[in-house]
Parts: sequence; structure tokens; C-alpha cells
Amino acid sequence: MNRVQKARLFTIFRYAMLFIWSVIVAFPIFWIVSTSFKPDWEWHAWPPVYWSQEASWANYRAVWGRTQSPRATSGEKVATETARYESHSANKPWQALWNSLYIAITATALSVAFGAILAYGVSRYRILSEIRMFQLLVLRMIPPIVVAAPLTLYYSAIHLMDTALGLIIVYFITTLPYSVWMTKSFVDEVPVEIEQAAEILGATKWQAIREVIFPLIRSGIVATFLFILILTWSEYLLSLMLSKVDVVTLPVQLAKYEGSDEGRVYGHQAALAVGITLPLMIIGIFIRKHLVRGFTFGMVKR
Amino acid sequence: MARIELKGLRKVFGRNIEAVKNLDFTIEEGEFVVIVGPSGCGKTTTLRMIAGFEEPTAGEIEIDGRLVNDVDPGDRGVGMVFQTHALFPHKTIAENIEFGPRMKKVPEETRKQKVREVADMVRITHLLHKLPVECSGGEAQRAALARTLITDPTAFLLDEPLSSLDAKLRREMRAEIDRLHEELKKTFVYVTHDQEEAMTLADRIVVMRDGVIEQVGTPLEIYNDPVSYFVADFFGSPSMNLIAGAVEGSNGAAAFSGAGIEFKLPDAYAGVSSGEYTLGVRPEHIVVGSQDAAFSCDIQLVEPLGKDTLLYFEHGAERPTIAVIEASDRFKEGERLNVTFDPAHVYLFEPDGTRVR
Repeated sequence: MNRVQKARLFTIFRYAMLFIWSVIVAFPIFWIVSTSFKPDWEWHAWPPVYWSQEASWANYRAVWGRTQSPRATSGEKVATETARYESHSANKPWQALWNSLYIAITATALSVAFGAILAYGVSRYRILSEIRMFQLLVLRMIPPIVVAAPLTLYYSAIHLMDTALGLIIVYFITTLPYSVWMTKSFVDEVPVEIEQAAEILGATKWQAIREVIFPLIRSGIVATFLFILILTWSEYLLSLMLSKVDVVTLPVQLAKYEGSDEGRVYGHQAALAVGITLPLMIIGIFIRKHLVRGFTFGMVKR
Repeated sequence: MARIELKGLRKVFGRNIEAVKNLDFTIEEGEFVVIVGPSGCGKTTTLRMIAGFEEPTAGEIEIDGRLVNDVDPGDRGVGMVFQTHALFPHKTIAENIEFGPRMKKVPEETRKQKVREVADMVRITHLLHKLPVECSGGEAQRAALARTLITDPTAFLLDEPLSSLDAKLRREMRAEIDRLHEELKKTFVYVTHDQEEAMTLADRIVVMRDGVIEQVGTPLEIYNDPVSYFVADFFGSPSMNLIAGAVEGSNGAAAFSGAGIEFKLPDAYAGVSSGEYTLGVRPEHIVVGSQDAAFSCDIQLVEPLGKDTLLYFEHGAERPTIAVIEASDRFKEGERLNVTFDPAHVYLFEPDGTRVR
């Protein structure tokens, strides 16, 4: 076998591996989307139904529908099935979506903003020693369950239990290490001479940051923002422990589709799961330009 | 124009890294001063203290009689060109140049006109719409110069601005900087580790070593009259031949011997006490093929450089002795030659590096 053939064979092998991996990654997503359109008798069917002949929006209507008893248009049977599962969750998904949006975005914004300020200080003025920075990271290695129980106690005592503020605070603190570390790597990438050049040309510190530093790390900040948003958006354990009735977030809501006699209500769960994933995908599409630049680092040519 | 005075300047990093030790020096108005020395000698730290990026541990910096220790870099009226050009990568060359005046809220009309003026001055008008990544190293450095020029600083501080360029570009840019100095008649403080740049650009050279000034002088003074082994060795290419040996004095005449050399020192050194010394001779002051011989040796290598030819002699000294002669193919490798030194141009250094006068 000569070199050209070897290279070609390797290319084929590489693409084959990537293809297999893509299927492994994409299949669950496909399955959720597919299930969300299935009528209930196909949820557990064997052999599995990959794409239902009777695909309908019924599950979506049941989950996201505004009224207690929606009128299904796609057949009598579906309508009654839908009504059966309604009591668990009527109107809750919208509330949960709003809670999740509000809590995740606020906590992420706080975390990224505060993290960026800290990161700038660490990168340029070493306001935290290397040991402190490492400790900050170690903070993330503590399993959440360890803090969940004591937090429940404290939160009850200071009336933060089951409040949006309570979750925002805990998400803000637990994601701060990530935002500091990520943003710091972006600030480190900007040579200090560039900032000094701005200063000696007459820019104030604030002008130098706004005109030079921020535009150069913007992509990194956007990437950090999305990363942390995903973390808080999908956080389950703390949300479960620290909320009861009023502030149920989407991941917790997702776990509530379990009937006492009918088992897991897969179709509704899938419809909700699609609803959870879509906002992130939409955000991702809007900021993909920044993501590519942000996640590939090395954005400043020296 | 600016007169920059450094008084008792000292900078300590961390607990005990003394980068600059007690520097006293005045840069006159309109002067082109080059601070030169090996890496770690404190030259860049000194420049950065003048610019205001490093706070002196002790001492004072005065620009035109004004104490500037507590003045921000942007308010010192100086401009700086960095080694890495430090252009803003997300702004076009025009926006880069415009930055200074824009920060100072100069009206847009005036700004645009000044951008064109300075771009014309350093010949980069055709690059104005480009981003720094689209420019070559030399073009970027020109743009960096223009960006500094537009703020009309009283003094230019240049931190190894040419070290990232290739040899040909470096010569071009060197001439460019020289021309700018002629035209602007401003004070230039230029830091480099390249002795050739120092020699060609400077009105005065400041040689630094280990945080102190080793010697200050015009390029010719530094070259012809080095105060120490260090300065003698640092300047000149090829560098001065430095041969370790001993001086023996008898009846008012001193002779140097070492590494196979026997050389009667000129009368100026007659009073030197016996002991170990280093003999220094520049390559152009070595006489080959003469009647008298300090030593006799085979030519190890002939290196034609075009205009000149270098001859290498291996005779047991630490480095081969190099002679520079006019271009010639008279000499062949392996040929045995008499070699001696021009007595008017030999230097003698104490073991501690100070020059014997």
C-alpha cells in the first residue's frame, strides 16, 4: 500500500468513526423529538416506532396548552388520552419556563459580569494568588449534594426557600469559578502592551477597557455566558432541594411527569424536553459566530 | 521637546530582584539616546519607568523640569512604540492611528486630516483601511510609529521596535527612524540589545549592565575608548579579540604573554604592575604577514565577506583571534603567518574587567 492509499484509508476510517459518533450523540435527540410526536401507545412499543404514523401535536398541546381541557383536533382518542394526563401539570410548564429563563439568565449574567471583573483583576493585578484561584476551582469539585442539605436548612431559616432569589444566589456562587477561569484565559490572551499602548495614547483605564480589552474578549465572554447558561438552565439537584411549589424550574418540572398508575408519561416529557432544549439552540444559533471564536481561544494574533 | 532627567532611579521587583540600581542620567532636548545592554540589564525597565508603566522603587523622573513620578502614562506627553507593535487588532490602521486624538476628543474633521498627514509621513497611506493582521511586520511597525506621531509627543520611547523584523527590513526601518528624528528634532529614547543599532542611531549611547550604567558616550567614544572588558566585548562586529594572559614588567617596559603570544606593550603601559591581564585588540588593528610577530600561526579559516575578509587564528586563546583585512584572496587556509598588533590600539583589562589606562 503506498502513501496516498494509506492516507485515503485513514481519511475513510476517520470519517467512519466521526459518523458513528455523530449517530451516538444525535440519536437520543432524535428519539426525544420523535417521542414527543407519538401517541401514548407507541411510547413503550416494541419493536420501537421510529417515526409514528399518527404523529401529532397532541403531546405539545397537553404540556404547553393554556387551558385545562384542550380540544384536540386530531381524533377523539388522542383527546381523551390527553385529558387523562392533564391534572399533573396543567399550566405549570409555562410557569417553569418563565422561572428557568428568569433565574438562569439573571444568575448567568451576574456570574459572568462579576467573573469578568474578577478575571481582569487576577490577570492584570494578581488580586488572587494562584493558590486562591485553584481553591476557587476546588470549590466546584465539591459534590452539590454535600451543600444541598445544609443549604436547605439555612434557606428555610432566612426565608430564601422556594424563592427565585435563593436559586439565583446559589447559581451565581457555584458558577463563579467557571466564569472567572474562563474569562481570565481570554484576558490573558490580550497582550498587556495593547492596553498600555492605549493608556500612553491618552485613554483612561476605563476607555482602554471599553475600547480595547472588551472588544477583544467579547467573543470569550459570550462563550462563557452560554456555557454557564447551559449549566444553570439544566441544573436539577439544587433546584429540586431549594424549591417546592412556587419556583419550579424546567428540569424539576420535567421529572414531574410520572403518574401513579400510568408510569412515566414519556410523550409529555419529550414534548417538554424539546421545549427546554429549543431556547438554548436558538441562542446558540444567534451567537454562533462568537462561539467559534470564543471556544477556539488564540484570537489575538501577536 | 523634552529633557528627561533620571535621579537616583531604582526599581526592585518582588522582594529582592533589583532590576535597576540607582540610575542618574539626563537625556537632553532633541537628543537620540540609545540604551543598550544584554537582556536583563534593566534597560527596558528604565524605559518603562520613563513611560510610567513601572513605578520606581526610589528616585525621581523629571520631564522638562516637571516631576512625573505620580503622573499617568497618558499625561506625561511621551509616546511609546512597543516591541510587538501593540496595534489594536480589531481596529483598522486608520482607526489605530486615530485612537489618540479620539481619546482626547479632537474633532473628527481635524482627526481625519492628521491621520492622512502622519500616514503620509511614514508612507502607509495605502494601508489605512487594512487590519493589523493584514500588514507585514514592517508595515505594522510603521503604523505603530504613525499612531504615536499623531499625538505629537515631546519624547519618543522605543522599546526594541525592530527586533521582530528581518535583517533587511530592520535596516530600512532604522533609516526611517533616523529620518524621523532628523525631521522632528524630538527627544528619542531607544532601547535595544543590538550594538549595531545603537552605533548607527545614537547621538549618545548608554551601556547598561546588571542595573547600572557601565558607560555613557557617543558611539565612537564607546567604540574607541571602552571603559571595561564588558563594553569592549559588547561593541563591534566581529567583536574585539580578548586574550587572557600575564604582563611581565622589566626595566620600564612591559610585555604581554599568553596563549602563545609574546607582545611588547606600548610605552603607555610601561608602568603596569605584573600580573594577570586580558589583552584586547580590535580585528581591524591586527597586522598580518609583517616582519615582527606577536605570534605565528596557521590560518584556520578564511571568511570572505565581500568588502572585507576575515582571518581566523587558533592559537590557544579562549576564542579564535580574528583579523579583518581588505578583501583579498592572498591568504589560504593552513598558511602560516606572522601576526602582530597595532601598538596604538591595544587595550589592557584587569581581571575584574576594568580597563588599564
